[in-house]
Amino acid sequence: MIDCDVHNSWASSRALLPYLGPPFRDALIRGELPGGRDSFPHAHRPWLHPEGFMRADAVPTDGPPGSDYELLRRQLLDPYEVEYAILTGDEAIEVSTLANPHLASTLARAANDWTVAEWLPKDPRLRGSLVVAPQDPVGAAAEIRRLGGHPGIVQVLVSSGAQRPYGDPFYAPIWDAVAEVGLPFAVHLGGQGGVNVNPTGCGPPTFFWETHALLCETGMGHVASVIAQGVFERHPNAHLVLIECGIAWLPALLWRLDADYKALRKETPWLRRLPSEYAADHIRLTTQPLEQPPDERHLWAVLEAIGGERTLLFASDYPHWDFDDPNDLRIPREWHERVLAGNARELYGLPARSARGHEAGVA
Amino acid sequence: MTRYFACRSRDLSPGESLVRNLDGVSVGVFNVAGRFFALQNRCPHRGGALCQGPVTGTTLPTGDFRYVYGREGEIVRCAWHGWEFEIATGRSLIDPSIRARTFPVEVDAGDVYVVI
Repeated sequence: MIDCDVHNSWASSRALLPYLGPPFRDALIRGELPGGRDSFPHAHRPWLHPEGFMRADAVPTDGPPGSDYELLRRQLLDPYEVEYAILTGDEAIEVSTLANPHLASTLARAANDWTVAEWLPKDPRLRGSLVVAPQDPVGAAAEIRRLGGHPGIVQVLVSSGAQRPYGDPFYAPIWDAVAEVGLPFAVHLGGQGGVNVNPTGCGPPTFFWETHALLCETGMGHVASVIAQGVFERHPNAHLVLIECGIAWLPALLWRLDADYKALRKETPWLRRLPSEYAADHIRLTTQPLEQPPDERHLWAVLEAIGGERTLLFASDYPHWDFDDPNDLRIPREWHERVLAGNARELYGLPARSARGHEAGVA
Repeated sequence: MTRYFACRSRDLSPGESLVRNLDGVSVGVFNVAGRFFALQNRCPHRGGALCQGPVTGTTLPTGDFRYVYGREGEIVRCAWHGWEFEIATGRSLIDPSIRARTFPVEVDAGDVYVVI
C-alpha cells in the first residue's frame, strides 16, 4: 500500500530556525506569531474545529500528532505494511495565506530543508513533498529548481486555498518549473484564510463541518482552470494531483465542462481534446475522505465514470481526525491493486517493492 | 430525389442564409462566398434549430496560445446550444464524426434548388 497523504509535523515552528537566515529567522524568534511561541506564521481560517483536527489516539507523549516518527511507524507504516508514505507536512502549505511573498517562500524553503534533513533519512519508505508559496510564482519556481531534483522529493505541493485558480497565467513560472523538473503539481486542502479570501463561492459558511464538506469547491475551480488554460497542452507531461478535495464531484464537473466547451470552444482554441480527456490523462485524486453514500454502489458508479481505477490514489490522512483505513476501503475489489499502490507508483515513479523493503534511504 | 426551388440566387448574398420548408423538411440555405449549401435545420446534438443560428467565423487551431480569427462566413452556430458546424460539409468542429444532414444544391438560371 502507498499512502499518498501522511502528515508529518514539527513539534514547534522553532524546529525551522536552523534552516532560516536573517531577517526572517529573527522574525520567528522575536516577531509576532499567530499562536504561542511554537506557532507557525500563517493566517488561520475563520472556522475552528471544535475538537481539534487530530486523531485522539495519535498524540505522542511529547509534541503534536505527526511529530513523532516512532509513533507514526508503529501506528501507520508497520501495521498497514506501507510501501511508501508520501509526506505532506502539516502547517507548511499555509504559507500561501501570508501577504508577504518573500516571507512565504523563505518559510517554505526552510520547511523543505527540514523535511529533507530530518524526516527522509528516518525511513526508506518516506517520500517528501516540496512546499512552495504560490503567491510568489518566481520564488516558487526557483525553489522547485533548487530542490525538486532531490531523489526523495516526489511532488510540488501547495494549498487549495489560493488567490486565483492554478491554471491562471500568473502561475506560469511554477508550471514551467514542475514540467522541467518532472514533478506532479499537488494541491492539498487548506490555505483557506489570509490573502486567500475566497474559500467558497457564495460567501462564508458558518460551522466547521459545513465548511469542511464544502471545501471541495476549490478543487473544482482548480480543475476547470488548469484544463481551460491549456496547461496540459503547454506541458504534455504535467500532472495535477488533488489531495483531500473529495472525488464524487469530479464526474459532474467534467460533464459540465465538456458540454460548455463543445458550445464555446472558440474561447480556448489551444485545446485539442475534451476537458474529460485531459482529466483522465493528467489529473489524479486522493481518496480520503472518501464520500460515503448509504449504498456504496452509487459511489462506485460515479467513480467508474471518471475511470476511477486509474485516477484515484489511496490516502489515509494520518494522523488527522477523518483518517481512512486502507483495510476498509470501499471501492470495487478489482480496483484495489491500482488504487492502493499501482497508480501512485506510476505517477511518482516509485519502484515496486514488498512492504518493509530495506533499500537504502534516499536522503 | 426531387429538387425544390429555394430562392433566387440574387436574393441570398454571400454571408446570408435563409430557412425554407421544402416538402415538409425545414432546410437552411447558405451563400458562402458565392457558393450555395443546404443543411437540414436540425442539429445532430439536440435537435435544435441549427440553421437559425448566426453565420460566423471562429478561432483557428494555432498550436500556440494566441487567438487567430478566421473562416468568416463558413461556420454556423446552432441557435440552441451554440455548437459550431462547417456549413460546406455539416461537420461539427468539436467532433467531425458528428454531422448535420446536408443536401445537394443546384443553381439553374439564377434559381437555387435543394435536392431532397
